Amino acid sequence: MIRFCDVTFTYDGADRPTLDRVDLAVGEGELCVVVGPTGSGKTTLLRAVNGLVPHFTGGRLSGEVLVAGRSTRDFPPRELADVVGMVGQNPAASFVTDMVEDELAYTMENLGLAPDVMRRRVEDALDLLGLHDLRDRPLATLSGGQQQRVAIGAVLTASPRVLVLDEPTSALDPAAAEEVLASLTRLVHDLGLTVLLAEHRLERVLPFADSVVLVPGRGGPLVIGPAAEVMLDSPVAPPLVDLGRLAGWLPLPLSVRDARRQAGPLRLRLEGAAPHPAPPADPDAPVEARLSKVSVRYDRVTALDAVSFEVRTGEVVAVMGRNGSGKSTLLAQLAGVRPPTSGAVEVAGVDPTSLAPRALVARVGLVPQDAGILLYSDSVGAECAAADRDTGLAPGATAAVLERVLPDVPADRHPRDLSEGQRLALALAVVLAPAPPLLLLDEPTRGLDYPGKARLVRLLAELAADGHAVLMATHDVELVAQVATRAVVLAEGEVVADGPARDVVCHSPVFAPQVAKVLAPEPWLTVDEVRGALEVEAVRG
Amino acid sequence: MAEPVVDLATDPVQRPRVAVVRLRPRASVLLAVTTLVGVVGFTWPLFLHGTSATDQAHAADAPWIFIAVLPLLLAAVLSALAEGSLDAKAIALLGILAACGAALRIPSPGVAGFEPVFFLLIPAGRVLGRGFGFVLGVLTIVVSALITGGVGPWLPFQMFGAAWIGFGAGCLPPARGRAEVGMLAGYAAVACILFGTVLDMWFWPFGAGTHTSFSFVPGAGLLHNLHSFVLFDLTTSLGFDLTRAVTNGVLVLVLGRPVLAALRRASRRAAFGAPVVHEAAVVVGTGMPAG
Repeated sequence: MIRFCDVTFTYDGADRPTLDRVDLAVGEGELCVVVGPTGSGKTTLLRAVNGLVPHFTGGRLSGEVLVAGRSTRDFPPRELADVVGMVGQNPAASFVTDMVEDELAYTMENLGLAPDVMRRRVEDALDLLGLHDLRDRPLATLSGGQQQRVAIGAVLTASPRVLVLDEPTSALDPAAAEEVLASLTRLVHDLGLTVLLAEHRLERVLPFADSVVLVPGRGGPLVIGPAAEVMLDSPVAPPLVDLGRLAGWLPLPLSVRDARRQAGPLRLRLEGAAPHPAPPADPDAPVEARLSKVSVRYDRVTALDAVSFEVRTGEVVAVMGRNGSGKSTLLAQLAGVRPPTSGAVEVAGVDPTSLAPRALVARVGLVPQDAGILLYSDSVGAECAAADRDTGLAPGATAAVLERVLPDVPADRHPRDLSEGQRLALALAVVLAPAPPLLLLDEPTRGLDYPGKARLVRLLAELAADGHAVLMATHDVELVAQVATRAVVLAEGEVVADGPARDVVCHSPVFAPQVAKVLAPEPWLTVDEVRGALEVEAVRG
Repeated sequence: MAEPVVDLATDPVQRPRVAVVRLRPRASVLLAVTTLVGVVGFTWPLFLHGTSATDQAHAADAPWIFIAVLPLLLAAVLSALAEGSLDAKAIALLGILAACGAALRIPSPGVAGFEPVFFLLIPAGRVLGRGFGFVLGVLTIVVSALITGGVGPWLPFQMFGAAWIGFGAGCLPPARGRAEVGMLAGYAAVACILFGTVLDMWFWPFGAGTHTSFSFVPGAGLLHNLHSFVLFDLTTSLGFDLTRAVTNGVLVLVLGRPVLAALRRASRRAAFGAPVVHEAAVVVGTGMPAG
């Protein structure tokens, strides 16, 4: 269905090719996942499928890309629109109209279809993606997941045979991401669409993948093959695959179910070796932030209901809970964005709403959910330099933090031209560099790849060890497993659980990380813990 | 803050200059002819020498002939420019910038010369090239005239004036940083005054009546008519033109930097300068069944 024949592509002015001698074949009805670190050329590969590379971007392409028998050399993107549908990272950026139904019909209007065909296909798309309740809604009022499903529906109405998605969940929180991926797997199974999908959240996609294309980046050769084989050597791998590789399971399990069926011997080996319990939080550490019976009401909605808790220095607290449970409101309270309806908020002993902005920024750093709103310079380098100036740091300090979170972010790029992960990394660097005593992070791993997450985890652990307090609202259970010392679960604006992260996370089917699900009932959280225990056992045995 | 030193020879933004709408030979010739006719359309009163009755009669027809001919010529130029070199990206950018330019005209019903139309046109011509500037000038005026109800016999002349301003902005010499913004601001001010002056010249033969000291006198000779025209211009619209020149110049001075940066970013993202090259595979692959 999709065939790359010896394709080499070089951007205009680049000194080496982004795609080098790529041969690739994706068959009819296949779900092919493209994995690779950020900036490795995944997007270029995907855009070559419908001819945006090179027709839109310019550049030199040798070899041939064939889609459903049509070569992108002879067919410009507009003449491939009925065969290939393309969906990007940020659905809002692709919308042309204001209403759900209009957006679904827009593609077909451009293709000049008859009104009765359009009507029928709009209905089909509404049903296929479960959007019928939303048909009359303005796009701006939809959640991120709903928007992305509309964006997929809008390309489906052209009845393409190939769907190309470039990190469709990177801008979404995990619940919305799951909603989108579920819709996608349904399309593959019910309609037999051929899907080429670049994705960071591999743990959700791999169980359904027929094949995997690994783009190693830096001009390395592509690895193509069945998912279980390619993932054996992939530098980008979810915890489940890491665990499988550590335990030497073959074939490599890609779902928790498969892993659990192979995990019997490993569970036996680990019996008796308990994971090192995290050192209990120092009860004498100074309290960095305190909420006393804080309630927040927006009109008739109660976002927080008499919430009381403390964050001490050296703690990494994960705030979890479903969307709308009050996580972001909690962070906004600590950042002094607005006063509570009742109760009291203290940060370092002071009410944060009483502080002048400059004093507030020195005490509290907040990375909001839409990280881009922190960035206003016209290049990454200028953004870092401005952050150094504003906070009185030595020149280059912010850039150094950025290099630690995500290396190789091009310094001359405009912040809006970055990928979601790169933009988040930049916002994190801007906030983390001055190292405020209290750090608030809202969903800090969206769009970050696994190496990026690992680097963030190291950075947060170091900050906590230096006596900073970190509070993060997140759905990312793997992040919680790796770095949080304490977890707080919110529901309907109330605290329903508060305790050491391991206790809170391990015994919940919703919040348990992959390793815990595989090795339950033993309370293991991360692959590193298991690796440590196995090494100890090897030394003893 | 110190200005970054930019080497004009190697700076990728400066060289090679982007030409979003390329001027092919045919389009260039048409553009030159149209410009010539346009110049005559504006300045014929100064060069009319005959004093016979037929000449006098033609003096009354002349404006109407130009009103009829100019739009046709402009349409021919636009179609020649569009031929082959106007792709989807350029059309999208033209559409957006023309809409923005037209929107800038809505809050400016000419009150004391506050008319910031050229403030967008000039940086756009500068960044995206003279061909683009020409087309954008024409489109901005047409679109804004449709929106504001400003359609009339003056429209072709306004289109012409704006097109020249956009074209001229694309012809300015290389400069970067503050020098560039200063140059554009100066150009904006001068262009605004010239625009007002030549439009007056179109209007003058019948706008100033027939028997005042600054009326057009057909066939009275270049110097006499020029003198009358300068008087006419000074007394009627120069104040308005000066205000407009100052507004646009100051706007470019204040907002030029971010606007130029935004346009350059758009231009870079769209990769206008980048050629699209397809070539055969370096090494012929084994077997190429149709996918």
